[in-house]
Amino acid sequence: MSAHLIMTLIKKDLKLFTRNQFYFIMTIVGLVLYIGMYFVMPKTMDETMKLGIYAPGMPLIENSLVNDEGIEAKSFSTLEELREAVLKNEYPVAIALPEDLLTRLAEGEKPIVTVYLSSSTTEEMKGAITALVKQLAFLATGQDMPLEMRSEVLGPDLLGAQIPWRDRLIPMMAIMILGTEILSLAALISTEVEQNTVSALLVTPLKLHHLFTAKAILGIGLAFIQVLLFMVVVGGLSHEILTMTLVLFIGSILVTGSGFLVASLARDMMGVTSWGMLLMIIFFIPALGGMMPGILSGWAKVLPSYHLVDAISRLSNYGASFNDISGHVLIMLGWSALFTISGVLTLRRRYR
Amino acid sequence: MNIKRVFTLLGKELLHGPRGFILTMTIATPLLITLVINLALGDLFSSAAKLAYFDESQSQLVPLLEENKQLHVFEYDSTEALKDAVSRGAADFGIIIPADFDNLVTSGDKVPVTTYIWGESLAKNRTIITATLLDLTHQLSSQSEPIILATVTLGDEESIPWSRRLMPLTVMMAVFFGGLMLPAASLIDEKLKGTLQALAVTPASLPDIFIAKGLMAALLSLVMGAIILLINQAWGESPLLLLLMLALGAIMAAEIGLILGALINEMNTLFAVWKFGGLFLFGPAIVYMFPELPQWLNYVFPTFYVTGPIMDISLGTQDNETFLQLGIAVFVILVLVFLISRLINRLAGEVPRQAIKELEATG
Repeated sequence: MSAHLIMTLIKKDLKLFTRNQFYFIMTIVGLVLYIGMYFVMPKTMDETMKLGIYAPGMPLIENSLVNDEGIEAKSFSTLEELREAVLKNEYPVAIALPEDLLTRLAEGEKPIVTVYLSSSTTEEMKGAITALVKQLAFLATGQDMPLEMRSEVLGPDLLGAQIPWRDRLIPMMAIMILGTEILSLAALISTEVEQNTVSALLVTPLKLHHLFTAKAILGIGLAFIQVLLFMVVVGGLSHEILTMTLVLFIGSILVTGSGFLVASLARDMMGVTSWGMLLMIIFFIPALGGMMPGILSGWAKVLPSYHLVDAISRLSNYGASFNDISGHVLIMLGWSALFTISGVLTLRRRYR
Repeated sequence: MNIKRVFTLLGKELLHGPRGFILTMTIATPLLITLVINLALGDLFSSAAKLAYFDESQSQLVPLLEENKQLHVFEYDSTEALKDAVSRGAADFGIIIPADFDNLVTSGDKVPVTTYIWGESLAKNRTIITATLLDLTHQLSSQSEPIILATVTLGDEESIPWSRRLMPLTVMMAVFFGGLMLPAASLIDEKLKGTLQALAVTPASLPDIFIAKGLMAALLSLVMGAIILLINQAWGESPLLLLLMLALGAIMAAEIGLILGALINEMNTLFAVWKFGGLFLFGPAIVYMFPELPQWLNYVFPTFYVTGPIMDISLGTQDNETFLQLGIAVFVILVLVFLISRLINRLAGEVPRQAIKELEATG
């Protein structure tokens, strides 16, 4: 009986959604745009600095720069070409070595090395290139390096295989797709109150818990289908399919719970928009951490969406397994339960 | 259109409108967006590599590190804290400066140091940090440099930090957000509550209502945008021109909001539009931030014709193209005015019919 009532309510809401063609088209267009944005972004990450070199007759110095993994060096045959490349900002930084550099160094003289900088070069890059050229000069004079570095790489070494921007953006796009569903569900509940259809529904055999269950199933379903579609197309499910699907499902529960919370805080549709937007932006903050690891302060990790972002990011970009993100799953479930219970209890009091 | 009635409606909206909503949409949300974007972008586009250090003694290398311009340096008070920072990407590189560092350097000995590298650190950052550390250690040892460096700057373009570059753009985004959502949500709410029909039987005409709502959104957003620019001292060298562009942006946003409000009948559709509308809004910013993206994409976004000139004006790089874009922005605004008038005409036919139906239904 209960299942039948709930199904009837879901069908009613789905019919309303699909009947509204504008809403339907916008939802699809939105999804297509996110997917399009992903594919338009660069597939690779440029992790080198461009450097032009004019070093006539000094292949050793040229080679030492060309072989440095952090430098994309290009040798120019004339000084004019080098200057032109800097002026056009094709190579924002370039060095020109005098033809008699090695001889003068051997004689203990101090030759002049010219560094050409494009005027748009940042202060950081100017300092960096100066330090680099000086070290090359020390090397050329055969002097020992003053430091003996014993280096340990922390985490997987992604040198030469950096995660491209578009993949770093996956958790953020997923949050944007899911976040909107907070507003949708809250609006769905608020509409019933504003149009007073909730009173009409409650004089039928329908109970409040049927209504809330139907809304929750619809909310979770709509959020889950959209985010799952997005992840399938952008390749987010290429690793640990089941774990990722579970994370997305729990993420959908989390936004649905948040939708209940927003609906309980808001008195009308304007309230839903205000509270919903604020919550969406707060949800969005941890997504920045997915883009730039290390920038998030400790407080941002308290936000419920942090666990969703981190789980998606680790699964899609770092090859994590269920064990690595199981803590996030539990915390998300806890937040979802807290939001849903507090939202439903408040709404229940209001409707009675 | 009756100006007196427009101002009466405007006063009503301001004094008796949904204050919580206005506060959230035109003040709290734009401020939050600006704050979040700037916090993120300041770090994202800073080209400086990040070095963490733990100094076991009072090494003279530390003041040299703090003074250098090419690195962002952060001090940690233990090896564990330093390793933690590097492993989570708060720094590209971590170095433990040993207790006898200065003595070893001045005596000309090779100093063994432990360094940690964040696995995701870019190759160029690793190169820059290593070169800088070696350079500063050479300075500390008072070793004479084997060359003289002459620096020649070519071109006349100014190097501007990303945080300053993007400030007007983020303000514009904030202005657009408030300016768009306020009239759209307000009109939809009036439709849902049936108050638009109620207003239709008063002397106030639909154009009066639309103008009042648009004016309120544009004015509030403009004021908010100006305040954010003022707080950040980002008015640039042509504040009047920048204000004009902000005003054009606020008007365009209010117009788009009015169109959405006229077309959409319930909030869920507005949220669905916002989902992809957000991309339209932030599109020029995304294209601007990633030069690898095809720049023609900008022309697809109507907001580009406002944000483009704003960027040029605030960076002092305005040229003929800037004014062409400004002209296109004005043209877009006029086209939107035309569209709104058509929509008002359509609504003018619908609203009284609905009002009559409701009156008949209530007897």
